[in-house]
Amino acid sequence: MLKGGIESNALKFLTDEDIKKIHQASMTVLAEAGVEIHERAALDLCAEKGARVDYDRNRACFNEDLVMQAVETAPSTVTIYGRGDDSRNITLGGTKVYMGTGGTALNVIDFDRKRRKTTVEDIAKTARLINGLDNIHFFVIPCYPNELDTEVVDVNRFYHSINNTTKPIMGGLFTEDGVDRVINMAAEIAGGLDKLVERPFISFISSILSPLKFDDVRTRMLMKISKAGLPVATSCAPLAGATSPVTLAGTLVQLNAEALSGVVLSQLVHPGAPILYSAVPTIMDMQTMSFLFGSVESGIMNAAAAQMAQFYKLPLYSTGGISDSKQPDQQAGYEKVLTALMPALAGANFIHEAAGQLDSGMTISYAQYVIDNDINGQVMRAVRGIEVDEYTLAAEVITKVGPGGNFLAEKQTAKKMRTEFYYPKVSNRTNYAGWEQAGCKDTWTLAEEVARQILENHTPDSIPEEIDKKIREMEPGIK
Amino acid sequence: MFDYSLIINGIIEGDAQTVQQFTKQALREKYPPDKILERGLIAGINIIAEKFKTERVLVPEVLRSTRAMHAGMAELQPYLKIKPNTSVKAVLGTVAGDLHDIGKFLVNMLVSSVGVTVIDLGVNVSPKKFVDAVRRERPVFLMMSALLTTTMWDMKEVIDELISAGLREQVKVIVGGTPITVEFAREIGADYYFEDAFELKNFLQDNFNKLKNK
Repeated sequence: MLKGGIESNALKFLTDEDIKKIHQASMTVLAEAGVEIHERAALDLCAEKGARVDYDRNRACFNEDLVMQAVETAPSTVTIYGRGDDSRNITLGGTKVYMGTGGTALNVIDFDRKRRKTTVEDIAKTARLINGLDNIHFFVIPCYPNELDTEVVDVNRFYHSINNTTKPIMGGLFTEDGVDRVINMAAEIAGGLDKLVERPFISFISSILSPLKFDDVRTRMLMKISKAGLPVATSCAPLAGATSPVTLAGTLVQLNAEALSGVVLSQLVHPGAPILYSAVPTIMDMQTMSFLFGSVESGIMNAAAAQMAQFYKLPLYSTGGISDSKQPDQQAGYEKVLTALMPALAGANFIHEAAGQLDSGMTISYAQYVIDNDINGQVMRAVRGIEVDEYTLAAEVITKVGPGGNFLAEKQTAKKMRTEFYYPKVSNRTNYAGWEQAGCKDTWTLAEEVARQILENHTPDSIPEEIDKKIREMEPGIK
Repeated sequence: MFDYSLIINGIIEGDAQTVQQFTKQALREKYPPDKILERGLIAGINIIAEKFKTERVLVPEVLRSTRAMHAGMAELQPYLKIKPNTSVKAVLGTVAGDLHDIGKFLVNMLVSSVGVTVIDLGVNVSPKKFVDAVRRERPVFLMMSALLTTTMWDMKEVIDELISAGLREQVKVIVGGTPITVEFAREIGADYYFEDAFELKNFLQDNFNKLKNK
């Protein structure tokens, strides 16, 4: 098992010079084009704090000083806590790497391999499944409960997540009052709002629309969350060629401007509020006009976004381990590895979407979580890199074994073989005969077996009964 | 009462020195050698065998434990009732063109532990050498190992030569090694195939008396 939070800066697509150029270009964009904001209170706040606001066009333009002041007041590290389990805390910032799930899918490939609409039960089950998978470090609520009325979606999504995993949770919101109700519910569990803010085990996503646009509802949500002092990501998802320039550099400039504008707004509301520099850079397929998640270009841009966040000393919400494939197949395998490995080696902090997702984020699969757990384990192994010290250099052991000998029975081998190598759960590594004897199972089948076994046997610490009763009284719409 | 778990733990830890030390101590305290073998050394390696089966230990740990057991065996050997000349004999070797001896080492250790006398011909053993050894030693078993798909067919050559020499009926041929399968063993006319050294050891243990009386 490899814990999250290992550091890496092994991969750098951008030189220091490139980073400065992107920064300067983004400053130009923010000062001249600015961002479109449809919430009057936000525009007023921007104007009051020195932004150039054009009320007719709903525009706020930020100069470099104002942006960099926000970068300054925003915390460089943000911790999202494990509920009642500090070993599961994730401390985002610098070059620390964590990998977890992402949302929000509408469909699931179940154990019968048929695709159906997701329900609230799928939220509970995915939370429980990842609670038992070591290389999934956090839980972004991965799917939408299609059977529920909209006004109870937010509380149900968060309730069933909290009740089924003690790993740090993040989720998007679908109703405006959902923010307050989810915060109230979590505060009840934490033993008060102050305790929740001090050690938040939930966090939120409130998206900025590319290019450069804040809609009214999500802006109010962002302001509310920042005012409360809870961690939030602004999930900027430029689609290169469609909602951002076709050039990767251009998309990075726009993404950087969008991510920083989220930081600016949160810091204007509440200096010091925990905010993540948020990056979901993708491309569009120019043949089909499809949105593409699992492209190699997305991997490159996410790695570069990590360098940008590190330049500003801001914690990063990043994207990887994603695929456009429709089922757990070869395409899913290579796209996930490509898009996870690049940001991870660049030290991206919070690599979300890196478990369970298929179909450009529209479908999840129980088996895929188990496969991705192995992909993440191997990616984290790469992040750990090569330990070089006197013991690992092993000159003494090499001398002792001598020419023609072998190292199998050496003490060092027994001592280090479990940590030097990663052992995947669902890879076929035996010889052909062994594979035949075990039933010629492919990865998908093996992963289903592991997923079933975890769902049947693993029981996470649920919400204590008394608190649960109170919450259900507060929110009778919880299923 | 001597605490056999001292020897057992030494084997589990793969610590040859500890096993040697406590085997010596048990002998000094006049515990019967066959009991020390059974309750200490064999009991210890059986735990490792079980853990290996459920993938809780890996090959390097098995090797270290086997080595540790062997260190204890070396102390016991002079006192054991089963003397080499009365026991079951096996000729063992890795086939021509193949220099792998890790699996063969494990087989040697474990097969010895159940009282079989092993004549180890080493690695890169030619068919002629195997046949000569069978003629000379008259073993119950000929045990061949191959680690390469390019060398495994040499096993068939050895068997063919045994037939030509009129020796095939007097020896049971056992084959093993990574590329070897039960189908392959059947195809080349071998008598037995075992997936790992522990399986072979269990087989010999269960059938030892039957084999000895033959």
